[in-house]
Amino acid sequence: MPDTALPLTPETGTAATLPARRSPGARLLAALAAQHWWFLVGLALFLAIALALLLTPWIAPFDPAAQNLRLRIAPPGAEHWLGTDHLGRDVLSRMLHGGQFSVSIALLTLALSASIGTLLGALSARIGGLFDEFVMRTVDLLLSFPEVVVALFLIAILGPGYTTLVLALTVVGWTPFARMSRGLTLDVNRRDFIAAAEVLGCRRRFIVLRHVIPNVLRPIAAITFLRFGHKLITVGALSFLGLGVQPPDSDWAAMLADARPYMERQPLLAILPGLAIFVTALSVTMIGQGLEIGVDRRRRLHPATREPAA
Amino acid sequence: MLRSAIRRCVVMLLTLLTVSVLAFALPYMTPGDPVRSIIRARVADFAVDPQTAADLTVKLGLDRPLAVQYLDWLGQAARGNFGFSYTSKLPVAGQIGSALRVSATLALVALAVALLAALPLGTIAALRPASMLDNAVTFVTQSLVAVPEYWLAPLAILLFALHLGWLPSAGWREPAHVVMPALVLALRPLAYFTRVTRAAMLDVLNAPYITAARSRGLSMARTVFAHALRNAAPPVMTLFAVWLAGLIGGSVVVEVIFAVPGMGRLLYEAVVNSDLPLLQAGIVSIVALAVLINTLADLAYLAFNPVLRSARDA
Repeated sequence: MPDTALPLTPETGTAATLPARRSPGARLLAALAAQHWWFLVGLALFLAIALALLLTPWIAPFDPAAQNLRLRIAPPGAEHWLGTDHLGRDVLSRMLHGGQFSVSIALLTLALSASIGTLLGALSARIGGLFDEFVMRTVDLLLSFPEVVVALFLIAILGPGYTTLVLALTVVGWTPFARMSRGLTLDVNRRDFIAAAEVLGCRRRFIVLRHVIPNVLRPIAAITFLRFGHKLITVGALSFLGLGVQPPDSDWAAMLADARPYMERQPLLAILPGLAIFVTALSVTMIGQGLEIGVDRRRRLHPATREPAA
Repeated sequence: MLRSAIRRCVVMLLTLLTVSVLAFALPYMTPGDPVRSIIRARVADFAVDPQTAADLTVKLGLDRPLAVQYLDWLGQAARGNFGFSYTSKLPVAGQIGSALRVSATLALVALAVALLAALPLGTIAALRPASMLDNAVTFVTQSLVAVPEYWLAPLAILLFALHLGWLPSAGWREPAHVVMPALVLALRPLAYFTRVTRAAMLDVLNAPYITAARSRGLSMARTVFAHALRNAAPPVMTLFAVWLAGLIGGSVVVEVIFAVPGMGRLLYEAVVNSDLPLLQAGIVSIVALAVLINTLADLAYLAFNPVLRSARDA
């Protein structure tokens, strides 16, 4: 076991983890510099995409629904930077507006899934007994349904739309988080530094806040980022099938579905929205992968978490 | 071992019961008159007049308590009788059967391709952890997860079917029809298989018996093939089973794009046409299959777990 080979003296923290009295900006920079380059590239890409989507009302050159039937399937040019689609609508404007739907649904379901799952998993581990059994059996049950099948079932009942999408993807989405958070909480509770803190007479709330939560959140954050791409793609799959975002609204996948009959004439119409989904999903995956490598590296360098000076 | 086997079987039965209740309740949860929907499913006729409908309600026992109706429905379902499809007017069971065969074929081919690529990739990555090669494998496989199937599939059709003419664009008659959908489906499991192979290999390669084998003068290649791969296999096989269960019925998009007459497309059409009997039967059979595959995989994992085996040998 590598753990036992470690010196028993408390480790001195690195500059990045010391609560130094520096400006928040400098601390942010130091924290960023400590990350893997995948994290930084992913973050930069995602921030650029998010900024473009947030500024859409101001930067979109055209109304995304405005048709110009005399200018159908135009190639990229000075006026329409990315060309026009089969109804003469500006592709760039549609990409920006469509991205708002795709990314916001993915973010919303992910936030709901992660918080519900993490909370239920942690509670399950702390309360134990029948509650634990009930939650974990529910997780087993839900995990045996393919996600798309659950979504189709709910769409059959509730009809397609934004709310159905969010609901369908959350109903299944929380389960991996619950499983992970339960395991992590149990694991952290068993570690020596918890026992040590208890022996030192630390209050229960202090232990949970200072030791359990930070140790559980970091791996969960990594997995949350890794799940984002999956959510974005699943949301898109339903929209592609015509069961997601409904016209006149459309997201990236609906644009792709619209473009399929005209693909041979203008492949760009199909390539661009798919590329947008791919790059967005990849950027967040890179953030998660970078974080995960960071977690691994930190665990290798500091297998025993530093005890508070208290 | 026996305890967890029993436990898994109990969970399996509970899952199936829950799903059957959900499927039974479907006509009551969807918009429209549930009694009308059920009559339509049983007699394959939509345009029954009010008098006939009232007669049928009594004849089919739709005026009985819901619990009794559920047990009756469950008994019929267990014998494979899910009524008639609204759209095709044919018994649902036959449609489900042929669709399951198609989806199972497609899923098995896709997963076999994914596995054959993932085992060497994961092993190579695990042999040199944190090296450039390891990072490259991780990066490429993670990128594959971010590729939407509904993007790759149309582009593949455009390139290989329309421009190059190497493969048929869609359908399900000859072996060539399997190639494109299977390759598109294989990408995501490929990424996950590689990840798990790498992790399992890393674990195994640190084990004392690997050091022992190496110190006996066995080459790294022999060590990997003779010892490591076999012991790293169980987690990969578990994941294989999970994906097999997930792809049968879960590969809706690929089946729709390539016009593959499988479970995914059947479910999609059932939703689009509000074909309740087809949807009920589809959901029950997909979940039954998924639960069965996962339970078998769990049991196999317990039975063949090398840790348990080596503990017994010791």
